[in-house]
Amino acid sequence: MANNTGNEKASRGVVDILVVGAGASGAAVAAWLSEAGFSIVCLEQGYWQDPSKYASASPDYEFEMITNWSIDPNVRQRDEDYPINVSESPVTPVMFNGVGGSTILWSAHTPRFHPSDFRVKTLDGVADDWPLTYDELEEYYDLNDEVMGCSGIAGDPANPPRSPRQMPPLPIGSDGMKLVNAFEKLGWHWWPSDSYINTQRYGEGRDACNFCGHNHMGCYQRAKSSTDLTYWPRALRNSVELKTGARVRRITTDPSGRATGADYVDSKGGEQHQAARAVIMAANGIGTPRLLLNSATGSHPDGLANSSGLIGKNLMFHPFAMVTGVFAEKMNTWRGPLSNFAMSQEFYETDKSRGFVRGYTYQFQRSLGPAWVARGGFTDPVPWGKGHHAELEKRLGSMMGIAVIGEDLPERHNTVDLDPELTDSDGIPAPRIRYRVSKNSRDQLDHAIENARKVFETAGAIDIFVDPMMRQSGWHLMGTARMGDDPARSVVDRWGQSHDVDNLFIVDGSVFVTSAAVNPTPTIQALALRTADYIVANRSDLKA
Amino acid sequence: MTVHSTDTNVNEDVLSAMLDRLIPAVDGLPPAGQMGVAPDVIRLAGHQKRFWGLFSGAMESFVLQNPSFVALDDDEQDEAIRSFEADSPVHFGVLLDIGYIVYYKEPAVHERIGWDGRPPQPDGNVMTPWDESVLENIRKRAPFWRAV
Repeated sequence: MANNTGNEKASRGVVDILVVGAGASGAAVAAWLSEAGFSIVCLEQGYWQDPSKYASASPDYEFEMITNWSIDPNVRQRDEDYPINVSESPVTPVMFNGVGGSTILWSAHTPRFHPSDFRVKTLDGVADDWPLTYDELEEYYDLNDEVMGCSGIAGDPANPPRSPRQMPPLPIGSDGMKLVNAFEKLGWHWWPSDSYINTQRYGEGRDACNFCGHNHMGCYQRAKSSTDLTYWPRALRNSVELKTGARVRRITTDPSGRATGADYVDSKGGEQHQAARAVIMAANGIGTPRLLLNSATGSHPDGLANSSGLIGKNLMFHPFAMVTGVFAEKMNTWRGPLSNFAMSQEFYETDKSRGFVRGYTYQFQRSLGPAWVARGGFTDPVPWGKGHHAELEKRLGSMMGIAVIGEDLPERHNTVDLDPELTDSDGIPAPRIRYRVSKNSRDQLDHAIENARKVFETAGAIDIFVDPMMRQSGWHLMGTARMGDDPARSVVDRWGQSHDVDNLFIVDGSVFVTSAAVNPTPTIQALALRTADYIVANRSDLKA
Repeated sequence: MTVHSTDTNVNEDVLSAMLDRLIPAVDGLPPAGQMGVAPDVIRLAGHQKRFWGLFSGAMESFVLQNPSFVALDDDEQDEAIRSFEADSPVHFGVLLDIGYIVYYKEPAVHERIGWDGRPPQPDGNVMTPWDESVLENIRKRAPFWRAV
């Protein structure tokens, strides 16, 4: 293998920083470094989205939700998507490729890690501790909340005290109170969710939520925070150059093994190279290991920055279970964000009497419209033929759900590697996922399902459906280039800097040591901001 | 959105007959096929290349297995559909999905089930104000997060 020094068609001179990926973390790190005057190019394989063209305003939105706006790239199959071999995984990764990345289609449910999540080895004897603490990250959580805009309310007894939220919480509503009252009867914790959804005007040209319910299809109202609406305007004002339709093929290196930039395919299919003094990977927990493995050279024969052999290993997903209750009352449960109004962390911390370590979060769910309900939503489809209409009428507007997010512990056999045959439309090897749900995760989910049943029974549900593990649920892509102090046991250090390549950084969910039992994006973005601060303070050598 | 070729010969009569069995008549509304939704099913299925491939493949497979489907009586049609559902769950799921999606776009259906029929945007719904009194009980709970 030769060194990847880049082809001859350099499209722009050497910049200080090349960011790969314009999603949650790429936007945050680019914006923050641009404030400090670094010259930055970001390469994004997808494109800008126009919120006024989101499918939620189309009469065919129910069809678009399962095709062109699917959360699953293997279903969506846009030109900018890459295929993922999931034949050896019970969980399908879901994501969006475009400016804003998966924040375009996410729920924007934004809890934080707990302090214990950074110390699971010390506290519970499993996995590894993080090389940083909650306290070290807290100021970056706060900073990110301010930029993204957080609705919620401080005072949650399940979490450390935190700063005032930018906006009041999303209302619980009479439907939500069904679940809240049941949790209270059982003596179990609940709290209004932190959400990056506006409950009043906040940010640049961003209105309050109008309760359409379909924030998972992109927010027409711009009320849901996505980084195309938050960090990117700031970055662009600071002259960050964002190249869309730019699909990175490999990170290039010089003979000493340092990163020199990236080869990429432009939107017209042309092979290009972008030179940079440093490269920051922000392509998510699957895209980043894929590209680093595809950047093998003579000096990095197993993939770039992979002397530990851990790139692509320890993939964590958060396998989801869903329990749904049907109530006799019509509550118009299609009104309001699907997944954002409240959560419970009663069973978050380890209690070994339960038979597993670590714990889980319950994320309360609403429902959607008639075709979604008929197709099953989070339940079994409404039967066809005789009985169809009665069953549809029973469920429509009357279903509430509880999603289970259990802490998925890292296991080396859960991997992302390069598929030997499958490629994207530019011939770049596609990622292959090999993943098994651990016994600990399964035990967590089963425990959570039984307790969720108790909630619905207490709440008076007339029917209960259980999906013991949702297949199309791999939103949270973590662990495939973990951070740590020991170069033999981690890929990047506590600042996200590669142990092997001192001008290569990773800021997406790949760096997670453990997964906690919460949606990861605020933590991903806080880590990205922290890495940016580190570079500003310590790596003036990267600035021309 | 790009509309992909729908040249494949989807048998509209079979599709309509099948839709009649999937979503039967109710409260004065005819069954789905007789409501005339089959052309819209075919149109919409063509809005994504991948989906169109699955849909047209499903129809082709169903017709091959049931060349006289339209002539069967109701019970025989139900049996043919159940057999297809058991043998080809992915293909059947595609037909059921698109059938439900198009049926529940119909204004007459909306009226019957009390659904306003609007897409979620641009009008949305009304967000009620935050009511802090809901926290009265949970606020009494002492912090229980695990300090490290």
